[in-house]
Formats: sequence, C-alpha cells, structure tokens
Amino acid sequence: MKHFLYLNWQSARQALVKILRQPFGSLLTLLMLSIALALPLSLYLTVSSIQEWAGRLTATPQITLFMEQSAEEADLAAVSSTLTKHPRIQSYSFVGKKQALSDLEKRNGLPGLSDGLTDNPLPDAFVVTPKTLEPHELEMLQKELSGLPMVETAQFDARWAKRLYGMVEMGRQLTWFLGAALGIALVLVTHNAVRMQILARRDEIEVAKLIGAPDSFIRRPFMYHAMWQGLLAGLAAWGLTSWLVMTANPAIHEFAQLYNEAVQLRGLSPVELLVVLAISSLLAMLGARLASDHHLRQIQPR
Amino acid sequence: MQRMIQFDQVTKRYPGGNEALKNLSFTIDTGEMAFLAGHSGAGKSTLLKLVAGIERASSGSVIVSGQNLSKLRSSQIPYVRQHIGMVFQDHKLLFDRSVFDNVMLPLDIIGFDRRDAARRVRAALDKVGLLAKEKSMPIRLSGGEQQRLCIARAVVHRPSLLLADEPSANLDRAYALDIMELFKSFHQVGVTVVISAHDETLMEDYGRRIIRLKEGQFAA
Ligand SMILES: Nc1ncnc2c1ncn2[C@@H]1O[C@H](COP(=O)(O)OP(=O)(O)O)[C@@H](O)[C@H]1O
Ligand SMILES: [Mg+2]
Repeated sequence: MKHFLYLNWQSARQALVKILRQPFGSLLTLLMLSIALALPLSLYLTVSSIQEWAGRLTATPQITLFMEQSAEEADLAAVSSTLTKHPRIQSYSFVGKKQALSDLEKRNGLPGLSDGLTDNPLPDAFVVTPKTLEPHELEMLQKELSGLPMVETAQFDARWAKRLYGMVEMGRQLTWFLGAALGIALVLVTHNAVRMQILARRDEIEVAKLIGAPDSFIRRPFMYHAMWQGLLAGLAAWGLTSWLVMTANPAIHEFAQLYNEAVQLRGLSPVELLVVLAISSLLAMLGARLASDHHLRQIQPR
Repeated sequence: MQRMIQFDQVTKRYPGGNEALKNLSFTIDTGEMAFLAGHSGAGKSTLLKLVAGIERASSGSVIVSGQNLSKLRSSQIPYVRQHIGMVFQDHKLLFDRSVFDNVMLPLDIIGFDRRDAARRVRAALDKVGLLAKEKSMPIRLSGGEQQRLCIARAVVHRPSLLLADEPSANLDRAYALDIMELFKSFHQVGVTVVISAHDETLMEDYGRRIIRLKEGQFAA
C-alpha cells in the first residue's frame, strides 16, 4: 500500500515536472481551460453580488398598509404587534396621519395646507419591509396583511419586485447553463489533449504493453497530467476573476455612489475556491479517463 | 518435472483465414532450454506470441506456468507477461530514450523501487556488455549491440521464462555464438529459455531439444 502510494506520488511529480518543463506545450490548453472556467465563475460572482446587494437594498419591495380612517390606538397597537411577530417580515415603520400630512406639505411646498382642512384626510400607515424577494410570496403576504382588522388596503410595487427577482433568477440560470456547458467543454478539451498525447506516444505505449504494462500503468501519467492541468486552470481562472473583481470594483463603486448605494463585486471565498479546484481537476481527469479508455484499447501490439 | 509451457491442440488462424499453427500439442518443462526451428513463415513468431499472450489461440489451450491463457481476461494478460522476458524479432526498442532508460522500463512497470532498480539495470547492462554505453541513445548502437540491449531489457526483471525470437538473425557467426552463450548462462541459473532461429546449425552444437516447424506443423 505504501509502495502503491509512493508510485502514484512519483507519477504525480513526474507529470507536474513535465508540464513545468514545457510550459508552452501546455499553455494553450491551459489558457483554454482557464477561460472556460473564468466565464461562468465571473457570472456567478456578478449574480451573487447583485443578489447580496438586492438583499440589503433600501428600495426592497415594501408593502404599505393603509388603515381605515376610523382606526383607533388599540387597532394600531394590534397591527403593530402582529407585524413584530410575523416571520416573513424584516422590519416596519409607522407613519402617523399627522406626520404624513406635514410630509406632504413639505414636499409640495404648501405650508398651511392643513389649516384649510377641518379633518386630516390622510390615513395612518405602516411601511413593511418583507424578508422575501420572491413575487409569489410577496403577493401572499400582501393578501394576508390586507386582511388584518381595520386595514383598508395593502399596496406594493409588484412590477418592480418582479423585475428585480426575474433578473437575478435569469442570471442564476445563465450561470448554471454556462457552468454546465463550459464544464463539458473542459472535459472535451482535456479529452482531446490526452488523445493527442496518446497518439504521439503510440510506440512507447505499444512497447510498454508488450512487456507487461497494464492499462492502469499506461493511463497513470495521463491522469496526473490532466489533474495538474485542471488544478492549474482552476488557479488561473481564480486569478482572472480576482483581477476582474479588482479592476471593476472602483468603477462600480463610483457608479453606485451616484445612487447612494454601496455595491461591490465579491471574490471567491476559500471554500468556493476549493470547490472550483476540485471540480476542474475532476472534470479534467474525467476527460483523460475517457480518452485513454477509448484510445488505449485501439493500441494492440502485434 | 513441472511444465512451463503446454500447448493442447492449438490452432492459430489469422484474420483473412491464414492458418499459422495447425493443431499443435507439446510441452516445455520448467528449467528447460529449447530451440524452435523452421523456415521463414513456418510459424515460429506466432508460437512465441501465443506463449506471451500477444496473440490468442483460435482453438485449443495454451497453458503457461499453470495459467490457461485462453481463459484469462485480456486485462489479466499483462500480469502474465510480467513473468516473461521477450526478445523481439524487431527489437522494439524506444529510440527517444537512453540505453539505461530502455532497460528501466520493465522495472517501472512492475513498480520497482527506483534506487534498487538502477542497480538492477546496471547489472543487466553489465551482463550483456553494455554498461559503458548506458547513457547512449539506442540509435548509436550497432545491430549486435541493439540485440544485446533487447536481451538486457528482457532479463532485468528476472523472469522465469525467456523467449527469444530469432536473436541471432543478421549477426555474423561469432557474434551469434556469443549471444547463444548468453542465453545458456540464463538457462544455467534456472530460467526456462525458448529460442527460435531459421538457421539450425547454431542449435546443433548445444544438444538441446529442437522443435521443428513447417507450415504450422511439426516437421519430420
Ligand atoms: N498478423 C498477421 N496477420 C496475418 N497473417 C500473419 C500474421 N503474422 C503472421 N502471419 C502469417 O502466419 C504465418 C506464420 O508467420 P510467422 O509466425 O511470423 O512465421 P515465422 O516467424 O516462422 O517466420 C505466415 O504465413 C505469415 O504470413
Ligand atoms: Mg518470425
């Protein structure tokens, strides 16, 4: 067992040395692989950054509850306590009818508007910030809130929420699609690279088979070659996306500041980086395995 | 005496219908040294390839050190070959690597520890008189030296069975005799040796069994 590990360690080291000794031979493949990885990764980071930002957004869809004119202190307190306990509600604020009127005066530059009115026509209102972005859940929540006692209507800007949610969802699906498509591309690229290597080393493989090399022995260097290539491509893709994040962030920050928003593209977390490295090396090894299974069978020495 | 090689009614038909061996039965004992004689096309190479599992019998059974090769899955054949040393008619050397690395290959395959392996490789090269050329490339060697290199590679992992397909072809008589002496020395340390040749005069001096083939059958 120890011996087996030693042999594998030897192959792994030799494969790495080979890549490092002829970096230009592997460079093209490496470049293709890292770009194939960097594309979905950047999209993933963009979408998850937008999602993060949307979560913090001050303009997250808000539901406004307008109370009946006849609502009294006790009714307001009842609604208020319901809102406090509700699991789907992030926060809420209360805008009393007096405050609403004075806001209106200020905004419209009509001081003394209230003087002309005998009664304040504006209702008391609660502005509710839900926890969810999902349009269907928002609608349910709206219905539920409008059914509270002494609540006249519950309004929210559904179109806006739907659009934001739709965009995030589309970005997420696009990420998965791109990820899957380029994952397949990664398998195909290593498949082809290993196929070329096998054909170039046909004589050697033939002789090795003649003197008793099992397929596992012949396959081993190709598998390790692919593993290193996947790993290096994963690291390179990480480098590319980090560079993208670093160069794009100042511009994004400046732009977002115009709207008083703090938006930032985030980089890969250490766990995400590990997952990316594991996936890219496994996919590369899958390509190598498929190529060697196919082509080693065709090399039958006579 | 235990049997190293046993053929039972073995027929080998190549694709295209060419029958290279016809219903052959014979045995070679463990530790024996035997010759395989016959003109070109008699079936000598085919017979040796069946023993090494390079070709498979069309019918009959080929048993090598107790293993029925006809019944083995092809994934198991490599492990049979690891106990056989083979000197190929066309050498099958690798010209992109040194003499030393050519001889190292069988040890790499069985997973020998690298330091012990280097010692073994040098011992094998010394045995065939090529130690001084370990760093040379095979292309720089003469025909006779290439033949010896091939022998060194065939014995470096100390196989119990050594097969040599026309090892003395294209060599002058003195050189051919040297090579025969080399095989005799392996036989003397217990290796079963089977050597083919189309020229019988070399064999007769040794007083060993000669299996004569003609068109895939035993010749009278
Ligand atoms: N791969 C092959 N395909 C078809 N026929 C072959 C093949 N190899 C050998 N033969 C035929 O089988 C017969 C025996 O060949 P071989 O075993 O090489 O004889 P030898 O080694 O004694 O010269 C010959 O007629 C040869 O043409
Ligand atoms: Mg022949």
